[in-house]
Amino acid sequence: MMKQYFDDLVSGIEGAIAADPENASPRKIYTLEVARIGQRLYGGEERVAWCGITVPFDLLAAMGVTSCFVEFVGAMLASTGMVDAFLEEAEQVGFGGDTCAYHRSVLGAARKGFMPEPDFLIAATCPCSGGVAVMELLARHFEKDLFVLNVPQEMTDANVQYLADQIRDMVAFVEDHTGQPLDPATLAAAVARTNTAREKLVEVYRLASQVPSPVNGKALNNFGVVAALLLGTDAAVTVAEAFRRDFENKVAAGEAGIADEKLRLLWIQNRIQFKNPIVKMMEEEYGAAVVIDELNDITWGPIDPDEPYRGMAARAMSIPFNGANTRRVSHLQDLARRYRIDGAINPCHWGCRQGTGSRGIVGQGLKEIGVPVLNLEVDCVDPRNFAEGQLRTRIEAFTEMLTERPSPWG
Amino acid sequence: MSSQEKRPIGYTCAYTPLPLIDAAGFRPYRILPMGDTPDQAGQYLHDNLCPHVKKVLDQVLAGKVPDLAGAVLMNSCDAMRRLADAWRAARPQDNIMLVDLPVTTDEAALKFFAVQLEVLAEQLKLWGGLDFDTADLAASLADFNKLSGTLADLGAAIRSGRQKGSRAALQALYNACTQRSMVESIQNCQLPTAEAVPKNGVPIFLFGNVLPDPEAFELIADCGARIVGDDLCTGYRQFAGLEADSAEESVYLQLARHILTKPPCARTFFPAQPGRVAHDTLAAAQACGAAGVIGHTVKFCDPYLARMPIFREEFKKAGMPLLLLEGDCTLRSMGQQRTRIEAFIEMLR
Repeated sequence: MMKQYFDDLVSGIEGAIAADPENASPRKIYTLEVARIGQRLYGGEERVAWCGITVPFDLLAAMGVTSCFVEFVGAMLASTGMVDAFLEEAEQVGFGGDTCAYHRSVLGAARKGFMPEPDFLIAATCPCSGGVAVMELLARHFEKDLFVLNVPQEMTDANVQYLADQIRDMVAFVEDHTGQPLDPATLAAAVARTNTAREKLVEVYRLASQVPSPVNGKALNNFGVVAALLLGTDAAVTVAEAFRRDFENKVAAGEAGIADEKLRLLWIQNRIQFKNPIVKMMEEEYGAAVVIDELNDITWGPIDPDEPYRGMAARAMSIPFNGANTRRVSHLQDLARRYRIDGAINPCHWGCRQGTGSRGIVGQGLKEIGVPVLNLEVDCVDPRNFAEGQLRTRIEAFTEMLTERPSPWG
Repeated sequence: MSSQEKRPIGYTCAYTPLPLIDAAGFRPYRILPMGDTPDQAGQYLHDNLCPHVKKVLDQVLAGKVPDLAGAVLMNSCDAMRRLADAWRAARPQDNIMLVDLPVTTDEAALKFFAVQLEVLAEQLKLWGGLDFDTADLAASLADFNKLSGTLADLGAAIRSGRQKGSRAALQALYNACTQRSMVESIQNCQLPTAEAVPKNGVPIFLFGNVLPDPEAFELIADCGARIVGDDLCTGYRQFAGLEADSAEESVYLQLARHILTKPPCARTFFPAQPGRVAHDTLAAAQACGAAGVIGHTVKFCDPYLARMPIFREEFKKAGMPLLLLEGDCTLRSMGQQRTRIEAFIEMLR
């Protein structure tokens, strides 16, 4: 069923692009590449690894492994409206309703045969305890070997080396399972592609920060975290270049991502994954554009081809959710300044102790620089208790308040 | 120095290196999530966070802990990370260190953790601790082992009926030992005079995380249970003894090895044996002749909640009755569970 879904998605987008190649939107090109990952995951012909979010996907790509973080499945099931049955399946076997619904849905999907059997699994301790736990559950369910990356909290030279050494061990683990040694030339090419994509993405985000922004609420939805799956491949470069070119043209023409941009919003952590009217309503009724998502940023430097494992280690440790919360708050403040943000929306994904756990500190940190935060208190994956009316009322009040106050940036 | 003279270092987790704090001349002081305090943590921490860490922060903010020389928090889970963030935000003047703690027990992880312990040792000195050396630390380890042995013997004696007292009294002793100096704990490691608990309750094994209130154990006993073994982070797990010394290892590596390989919280796991925590818990329950098992976890504890399907599966497969309870570190929540506990015990009779 999932293979058919991805096959249909790929052929549909390929057809649309072929019919009008000049007007293929970057979002369409990106969706095509993500759908191709889904096609490979569910195709049954490639080596597959289920992973944690901060695993080096470019390295796995260089080793011929199709890899994906498991939360991707939860988001996909929610966005396609299928997630309820999988959540219920996990809850029936004792996976608590207070846990993260990304992870709950993934366990349900595995139990119902909706996740392809992997060749092996690779967990990472960053960003969250729940993510590591679900990897243990999946390893047990699939009866497949599990490798764990302990991601240190502080960015010190010794800590980077500790993680780099683990990545080296991970390579040996993968080689043992695939029977194929890592080819240094293939790795070097993957690192080069990662660095090229990185450079383009830095430019993409710089262009997105312009006033008016070429971004609308959909263009870079879930982009930063999912684009990591493409690193090390030509697809990463293709997608990054498509966005860069599109945004460059729009900025040159003074074309905004939404008509009559009045308010510029920062979306904290992840989007609500199931269909909902919030972003569209904000755009159409209030001229409020989500111009930046917290995870749409490059927080890492180019990977040194001579020391790729250290670069990948530093990249994993650099994400805003790693380390003390002050890092995360500083990053959000930086985004708010760069993007001249009027207000921020924090969905406060129920069940997320890592991202949402520090709601108060995040709110205070943005308040210090004059950026109000709306805390929604919503489960981003589980639609069963979604109270659209209440949310609409609160968002309306928030955007009206923002409209009435001067921009924090003069 | 007595407990009163040694300045306390606050801690909150069973993975805390107590011998290291002792060697630095401090008194390890576990901030137990007990008693009523105004809810102030909510302004820093989300509603969906572990009540253990919220109650700890509430106590700190309410001034219900002694004047701490510092606080040593372990990076054992998301909740502990959030506690460190919130504590720093609420009281930036306090000395706080969050010690990185791997989730696995491989050699690289042990070495990494040993380095973190050395960093902590230096930090303790900066907080006014003694300029101790590895011999001092080894002596503290020996004291810790002595305390561990005495507590283990007491626990075994109570369970066998050789010692008068109850699991509730033992819990009160555990709690006292988490807040006294090591030497004072050793000197006072005895139970108050009490009647022996009759051995007519249904034998129950208890596992989970934070359950420090002795009254909770009395409540379980009142329901007709006799606790014949337990594995709780506020129970014996925090005092589990060191393995034998290895002359080839540094004392920091020994300490790291001990802490990461002692009976684990669900947050520590073994990639080659996924679900081992449930298997080990079942084996422990079977070894002490339990007729059933009660699992008690605080709400929103991902390391345990996420692994509950494994516990259920393992116990069901083995035919071991299992009752799972969620609490919020208050007796109120335990009281609400009384009917379920009574029904469970009744079923086992």
